[in-house]
Amino acid sequence: MKETELHHDKDIREDLAWSQINSDIMKSLENPRRGFWYTVIGCLVLLAIGITAEVLQYMYGMGRSKNHPHMWNLYIATFIFWIGMSHSGTLLSAILHIVHADWRKPIYRFAEAMTTFSLMTALLFPVIHLGRLWNFYWVIPYVPARGTWPNFRSPLSWDGFAIMTYLTSSALFLYIGMLPDLAIARDNTTGWRKKLYSTLSLGWYGSDRQWRIFRKAYMLMAIFLIPLAVSVHSIVSSDFAMSIMPGWHVTTFPPYFVSGALYSGCAAIVTLFILLRYYFRWEEYMTLAILEKICKLTFAIAMVWTYLNLVEFASVWYGHDIYGKEVLWAKMTGAYAPVFWSMMFFGSVLPFTLAFRKLRRHIPTMMTVSILLNVGMWLERWMIISPTLSQSFYPWSWDVMWPTLTSWGIVLGSFGWFGLLFLTFVKIFPSVSMYEVKEMVYHRRLASEKAQAERRNTGGAQPAFSLSMRKEDGS
Amino acid sequence: MSLENLTQDWSRYRNGIEEGGFHNYEHRWGMAIDLNACIGCNACSTACYAENNLAVVGKERFSKGHYMHWMRIERYWDEDQAKAEFPDQGANFLPMLCQQCGAAPCEPVCPVAATYHTPDGLNAQVYNRCIGSRYCSNNCPYRVRYFNFWSYPESAWPAPLNLQLNPDITVRDKGVMEKCTFCVQRIRVAKDTAKMENRKIKDGEFTTACAQACPTSAIHFGDLMDAESAVTKLWAKHQVKRHDDEGLPVSTQHKQNPALRGYRVLEELNTDPSVMYLERVREELA
Amino acid sequence: MKKTRRILGLFGNFDEATNAIYDIRASKIAGLSVDDVTLISPIEHPDVEEALGDRPVSVQYFTFCGGLFGLVGSWLWIASAQASFLVQPQGGKPVVTLVSNFVLSYEMMILGGVLSTLIGLLIGARLPSRPHTLYSEKVSLDQIGIILELEDTQIESAKNLFRNHRVLEIREEVMK
Repeated sequence: MKETELHHDKDIREDLAWSQINSDIMKSLENPRRGFWYTVIGCLVLLAIGITAEVLQYMYGMGRSKNHPHMWNLYIATFIFWIGMSHSGTLLSAILHIVHADWRKPIYRFAEAMTTFSLMTALLFPVIHLGRLWNFYWVIPYVPARGTWPNFRSPLSWDGFAIMTYLTSSALFLYIGMLPDLAIARDNTTGWRKKLYSTLSLGWYGSDRQWRIFRKAYMLMAIFLIPLAVSVHSIVSSDFAMSIMPGWHVTTFPPYFVSGALYSGCAAIVTLFILLRYYFRWEEYMTLAILEKICKLTFAIAMVWTYLNLVEFASVWYGHDIYGKEVLWAKMTGAYAPVFWSMMFFGSVLPFTLAFRKLRRHIPTMMTVSILLNVGMWLERWMIISPTLSQSFYPWSWDVMWPTLTSWGIVLGSFGWFGLLFLTFVKIFPSVSMYEVKEMVYHRRLASEKAQAERRNTGGAQPAFSLSMRKEDGS
Repeated sequence: MSLENLTQDWSRYRNGIEEGGFHNYEHRWGMAIDLNACIGCNACSTACYAENNLAVVGKERFSKGHYMHWMRIERYWDEDQAKAEFPDQGANFLPMLCQQCGAAPCEPVCPVAATYHTPDGLNAQVYNRCIGSRYCSNNCPYRVRYFNFWSYPESAWPAPLNLQLNPDITVRDKGVMEKCTFCVQRIRVAKDTAKMENRKIKDGEFTTACAQACPTSAIHFGDLMDAESAVTKLWAKHQVKRHDDEGLPVSTQHKQNPALRGYRVLEELNTDPSVMYLERVREELA
Repeated sequence: MKKTRRILGLFGNFDEATNAIYDIRASKIAGLSVDDVTLISPIEHPDVEEALGDRPVSVQYFTFCGGLFGLVGSWLWIASAQASFLVQPQGGKPVVTLVSNFVLSYEMMILGGVLSTLIGLLIGARLPSRPHTLYSEKVSLDQIGIILELEDTQIESAKNLFRNHRVLEIREEVMK
């Protein structure tokens, strides 16, 4: 910790040797702190709970978690939550890549892994929530013997298209970006790992031809991923916005969902950032300066989310659609009011802690805050779904339902599933991009050498040059 | 999946664009329910259970919201009635069943096209195709779609009760959505008979189980495409119009005239229901 | 003359490697052009690539064609599936629904673009393959390598050129 405080204004130390970067990152494949294994055990327990709940539900029926007006409830809420969480990793990585923000380099790999794995978690829920989940593949548009196709008009089948595209693209983006690092891993390991990395690195050896094509292909993918990520969550929001139900049929849903997704994703990046920094002793790479940058970003997105929330309320309130207004009023004052107000607190008030430098640099606080922000975002998803189901057009069907133990079990299980996938990934693959950290260190060293030389030539401190140096720092 | 299908559907699609949707119905089965006559006796609901193999779920599951009544009698009270001496008195009954909407919100949202519109103007629910995403139920403003939360056959019809099941239709297992079909099995029989005898279906030749069981004849069933049927005449008398009926706007009823009692539930949502209700006429509470 | 030998020189930093390439460019070795040079490096480095000159990259054409195919192909596919599928008239809406089909085509355009970019990358970068026979693991660590394809007579002058630029290690092999 002392060391990092010394360099606290820099995203990364410029005098890191390249060989040290290799060995520090490759060490993560060998000896994490013990806390890593405790987390693995915790995830296994959660997954076991989830599987038990799912087996019970499979054997006895959906009645264990649902009732008549509450047809979706917790599962779809958690589905949106995981889809949302997947948005920051790849989207931010792509945006920061095309604007050449190099502080992305130490953190983008695990963020993209988070995207891929939270998508894989999210994919479970539409399947789990099906009444006949053994027939889930009927949604896939293959040419079937019966001559029927899925209904291309249903937002649920758009979901299928969007999520499969997003999963494929973000997994490829993650993999392509990892190619040079897999080659490094191939050169530095033995045994089964060597075999694995040899296969996966496809024989990458870093020739100028490979780098040129790599640079262009990676950039092209990044450009595709930005509109893709935005479209995916807009399409998920169409599940609701395209329906006619009060509280769902809202025009602002697509941007509202996208901002919520970025928000929860950024908060999750903060959480995982802190965890990885701890597990693998990566204080040199995951510096507080970078943490601060993500926190600032999270704060900005939190304010966007708050604004869109208020816009939604205001447009419903002044729209004078009695049904929509009633649902909104029921959210604020009805049975779900405690959940609603906690969501508002966690989502809109708590992020103000991110506005203070002292708190942003205090790891335990940031860990707590980032988890609570995600709790708030999870509650938000629940508050999108349940109040509308509990009080829609038809008064006869008004009903308040609290989630059952089975559905809680499956929700917990999904966290275990995600955790296991993620922890397996960081244990097998280098979760900090070695070649890009080398680039970052290299460019910063060049820049600072240049600045020093300039300062020497002009013989002392000149305001103009100190300005240019700060610019080179990229802060 | 053939070129012929493709060209046929294409021309149907072209027509659909010109007419603002797909409307060339062979029949348009519809209902008129006279709330003046309804006494809330639940005979319709019982008849429906018997006719359509509806599972009796038991008190506990019913209270959890796992009921399966395709036809239900809803009770409503005015606010001042709740304060009256005998609040249970004077309930307003509303028999609610699937409205077989012409522009049904449940249809386009099904990911596997398990629910679709038949040329008879019905919302068909294909049990074998249903995967139980329950999106249709979420998008039904009337909440008349029921989901098989459990596997009911053993608990609802222990032997020998299974012998009372209607052989004309299936018993649904867990995980599929179901709803009122306007007794589609009876419609099939009537259509087949008429076809064999080479004639048109006569009005009143058959009716749904609920209409048949109603002691006060509050439920009228028939073909809205048949200008001579009793239902069509009732709709015309109360000036309720279908969407495909000369493209008239939705709410054309004049409510100033107390004799015009017809309305359709949640008509402002533009769902074009096939069920018309006739408002109950009540004496003013003093 | 036929090129029979390959040599690899490893350099400690980019400046030396760049200068070595500029020397080759300036035809310090008779008969050797910059096209015979392959640079292998641990990071991408535009300055060195500048020294190597323009070498065409064609992955963007793959991307364009793939994206276009995804857009048009998926639209036709979905529209024809809808038009040939009997159970379609739903909710009073037309059979081929333009808006929702474009939502799907949009996704398929991106999928097509991304997949074809991958294919373009694999074809262009000659992957998967074995690493170069002269490949040194030091390149994935912190050294920069220059591979030359040479005639027998050029070997010594090439080695001298490398040595002038403080080469750390030289490897050579006979081409089959």
